[in-house]
Amino acid sequence: MKAVMPWLGLAARLTLGGVLLVAGFLKYDEVDKSQMAVRAYEMLPVSLANFIGIVLPFAEIGMGVLLILGAVTRITAALSALLMVVFVIGISQAWARGLSIDCGCFGGGGQVEPGTANYITPLLRDTGLLALGIYLFRYPQSKFSLDKSPQPQSLEKGI
Amino acid sequence: MSAKPQPGKDNFTRNLVIGVVLGVVLIMLVPTIISKQTNSSAKVPANVSAERGYGIVFNGELTGVPVLDVYEDFQCPSCARFEGTQGQYLDSIIEDKKATVVFHTLSFLGPESVIAANAAACSADEGKFLALHKMLYQTQPQENSGAWTNEALVAAGGSVGIKSKAYEKCVTNGTYADWVTNVQASAAKADVNSTPTVFINGKQLDRNAYYDPALFIAAVERG
Repeated sequence: MKAVMPWLGLAARLTLGGVLLVAGFLKYDEVDKSQMAVRAYEMLPVSLANFIGIVLPFAEIGMGVLLILGAVTRITAALSALLMVVFVIGISQAWARGLSIDCGCFGGGGQVEPGTANYITPLLRDTGLLALGIYLFRYPQSKFSLDKSPQPQSLEKGI
Repeated sequence: MSAKPQPGKDNFTRNLVIGVVLGVVLIMLVPTIISKQTNSSAKVPANVSAERGYGIVFNGELTGVPVLDVYEDFQCPSCARFEGTQGQYLDSIIEDKKATVVFHTLSFLGPESVIAANAAACSADEGKFLALHKMLYQTQPQENSGAWTNEALVAAGGSVGIKSKAYEKCVTNGTYADWVTNVQASAAKADVNSTPTVFINGKQLDRNAYYDPALFIAAVERG
């Protein structure tokens, strides 16, 4: 198991980082839509939602690149996991309140025709990504990472 | 690539990479934030009121009539459907001075929305906004397919009787590009999350009234 785990870490890094990078890349030059997507969750004051709508795509790109390169894996993984928790809460509350919105995960977003909203797919995806984030937070050591390898015993100890 | 732990390895490369990534992200982010700010010195077309979210206003002088704020994007298919269903009625209440109507031409669907909104602003200067507005929806192409160019928008103006050189220059130069940004920024502040969105006297219209003439007319007359 010990020999496999760095490879699992690499797979987790590339998956989580890849999804974040793609999600950010699809949104960063369409921030009007991204702002609309964040507002449509009706969780935040409008001005804060608009600010997050601009910042989020860039944050996703940054976190995605750092994860793919394996730089500060542990911190980036924790931030990604936190982001996924926020997404899961956002989507769940939209679902529970009966809002009809597009999750805006990979661009798009905003209100959609009643009955056409799909919440289960993004929820499952974000839950899966959350698991990857938690795994990397706990076992940040991985193959082809820029991070300095920790002391050998830290792998067994975990956290 | 060595998998063996190297406790003494220098973290210089890693730190450099982190610095570069964060730096590049910030360099991209800051201009984006600035470009989305309202520019109060933007050149605005005729009949535009900053107090009314930079919308193009018809019958702004009337009092005691319903005020309709219509938020739409020239590339949005639902907006074309809305215009097809309610456009004639909107024209008639503007003509008969029965309501104040404010058109907010949004641009969130991309570059062709921006140039279409700019052209619409140019047509407002010629007193032909409503005509061009209708024409653009009737001939709406696929989103960002390249069909709407400045030349095409000059031609569209010509087809509704705008022949002036000023219009052509206005479209080609993107004279009202900053104003287009202001309209979008103000819609963001107004919490408009889809198009079309209509507010009647500041109250958002019920979703199922958009494509139903009877419900729409009833909602306007109720005020």
